[in-house]
Amino acid sequence: MLTAVMALALLAFEPMSVRAGVPVVEGNAMRPSELLAPRLLRTLAMDALGRPPLESERAEWSTKSRAELVDALLATRAFWDHWKEEQLYYFLLLNNFRPKSDRVAAISAELAEGQLEVRAATHRIALSSSFDQRNPGADTFVTVVMEQLCGLEVKKNARELEIGKKVYDGADGTFLGASGKTQADLVRIAIQSPQFTRHFLAREYARYVHAKPDPKELATWAARFDADPKSFRGIVRDWLLSPAYDARVARGAPQENRLFVRALYVDLVGRAPTDEEAEPLREALDGLADPTPLRGVFARLLIDSDKVKLPKREELADAGAWIDGLFARLLGRAPSTEERATFVGSLAEPGCRTQTVVYAIVSGAEYARY
Amino acid sequence: MDEPRGNDEGANTGASALSALDRRRFLGLTAAGAGLLALRANGAPCSSLEPTPAALPGARKTKRVVLVAFAGGVRTRDTFGSPENVPNLKKLADEGVLYTRARTANLGHFGAALSIFTGVAEQRGIRENARGPYPTVFEYARKELGLAANDVWITTSGGAQQVNYAYGLHAEYGAAYGANTLDGEGVFNKEFKRVLETLGRPREMPKDEEAALKKLRASLAKGGEAGLNSAESAAQVERYILQELTRGTADLTGANAGDAKALRLARNLVSLFKPKLTAVVLQEADTAHGSYNGYVEVIRRNDAALGELVQALRDDRELATSTAVIVVPEFGRDRDLNSRRGLDHGDGSEDLSNVACLCWGPDFERGKVVQEAVQVVDVAPTVCELLGARAKLAKGKRLPGLFA
Repeated sequence: MLTAVMALALLAFEPMSVRAGVPVVEGNAMRPSELLAPRLLRTLAMDALGRPPLESERAEWSTKSRAELVDALLATRAFWDHWKEEQLYYFLLLNNFRPKSDRVAAISAELAEGQLEVRAATHRIALSSSFDQRNPGADTFVTVVMEQLCGLEVKKNARELEIGKKVYDGADGTFLGASGKTQADLVRIAIQSPQFTRHFLAREYARYVHAKPDPKELATWAARFDADPKSFRGIVRDWLLSPAYDARVARGAPQENRLFVRALYVDLVGRAPTDEEAEPLREALDGLADPTPLRGVFARLLIDSDKVKLPKREELADAGAWIDGLFARLLGRAPSTEERATFVGSLAEPGCRTQTVVYAIVSGAEYARY
Repeated sequence: MDEPRGNDEGANTGASALSALDRRRFLGLTAAGAGLLALRANGAPCSSLEPTPAALPGARKTKRVVLVAFAGGVRTRDTFGSPENVPNLKKLADEGVLYTRARTANLGHFGAALSIFTGVAEQRGIRENARGPYPTVFEYARKELGLAANDVWITTSGGAQQVNYAYGLHAEYGAAYGANTLDGEGVFNKEFKRVLETLGRPREMPKDEEAALKKLRASLAKGGEAGLNSAESAAQVERYILQELTRGTADLTGANAGDAKALRLARNLVSLFKPKLTAVVLQEADTAHGSYNGYVEVIRRNDAALGELVQALRDDRELATSTAVIVVPEFGRDRDLNSRRGLDHGDGSEDLSNVACLCWGPDFERGKVVQEAVQVVDVAPTVCELLGARAKLAKGKRLPGLFA
């Protein structure tokens, strides 16, 4: 059964059909309908870079095929910046635990230049003092190593936990089948274990595709990854070009607070936020079970600040075209006939400003998904 | 068996029995688990199954509950076993019911604290940032009693992970019945204030613009899931956050700053919204891993901040006579110091797996010490029953010997 959300998502792909957003290349030429739909372009950028496309990027990327765009996204430094941020958030939930070491700071640059691969990068994060401080004491540290690095349930692996605690305290022990006698050994053993590969790929797949991987496919990716950890980018490429990703785009997914903050800045201010702008806001939103009210407060403040440049309604030569552009840019779709009529009509009414229109969209439920 | 005995003069009521106990005897009682005996205020034994008038919903004075997860891992020997650390908790215990042997499970802070709210002890990843499968007390209360979002609040100290206490993933409950959650440290901090200040105060929206906004929003196709707040309650929360940012909560500092903010927010919320259920989750006591002294300091400061919260209840005539307070850690800590002169949590000792649970309220016994073994997961069904709801999927049961 087609749900309302799916129907809405499919609407976003007009005039494309069958496999939403997947261009069908005949020879070397692409028909206009094979170009990327705005919704797919936005979603791919959000998943790969953690933000929507900038104005200049949208103009450039909308002429590409999906495969070309995915290749372009995965070749950027921004892709690895986002990957590192997501790993730091997963392992540390940040707050006051952001690592300050040069080695962690260099991760994304080294990944982009091919000097580092993701397993070694994860190792570097787990060896940081922030990881140690976030997980104080033998019980907590070993539990987190088992859970976060290997996806193991400690209750079902109580013996490994007890051995790990002894190794943490400096005793010799065989943890996950390998010998060690230090805290660092625990991390090394866990990261080199087969459990790490499977858990890492499964959670990364879930992050991009918002679904659980098929066990057989996971085994194939794990073999590929174990043979060459630098194949990770190619594995992500396959995910982003897969039918499963088409389904993910059609379903939509809730925008995490960290994505919302970055999206709002790009959409309204035309640039990504600085860490100083984004982090306090992300933390505040993360502190609310329902961030909607605070998202609204922040969107209003931003829209009414001098950071956002919007035309006055009197300056709009074609209100309908402006509304069309706004929907395409912020929601990745065209307005329905009713929406267009209401928005254009409202703009002519007293009290309604262009800011009011933008606020209505970015504080809505649809903008909160991507 | 070493247990307090009562007499007719009340010299050995639970309160005075507790006062009379020296530290070693008290710890002996809690750690060794002496006796499955609950004492009435006059010292006579009572049965946990005994029906009391106050157990009947219609007869209760309790209309509101403040549930404090005194979490971060806190041993009884450092609270009621060292009453000089917790004069405010001690005073509440003298006026309420103290369960000295509430059994916990070492599920990590997240899972163990979650079990206080779900009534189900379930393993969760320590750093897992996801909701649990079981409904919480907030969902039971909101769904069964038809409460609005602003009737049910939870203030926290621990950032992103703790908002998962607000509601679970159970198909019959979920966000639409969740609690509004505020993380004191996350929302009310100087950095966030500064970001907002650089953008300026929100502009007052004229009525005609508000009407246009309403029309625009109504025309947009719906998407997303049912939210926790209605438009009206979301607007109230929006106003509250902006007001609270001007009240100085963001400027609180010290060893327990996060906890102090959570308790301060709860104090302001109970006065402003008079919610039916307000929960607080503390966590700074976990500094114990690296410093026993720092941990004791956090306990002392949290006791003082909790005293302010209770004073706010006492100062309000309506709240004073209608509010119950329940305080319970998610688990204790190890028996012995670690190599850093701190305290971890993982030795499986009685200090770790038994905590004290304090209940204070208009319908409860006064000055009673219950040594009967109970469980931390008994708190959720007890809270629900107090409010007139039923925690139908909780594994615990109502705390015994509670009602006067």
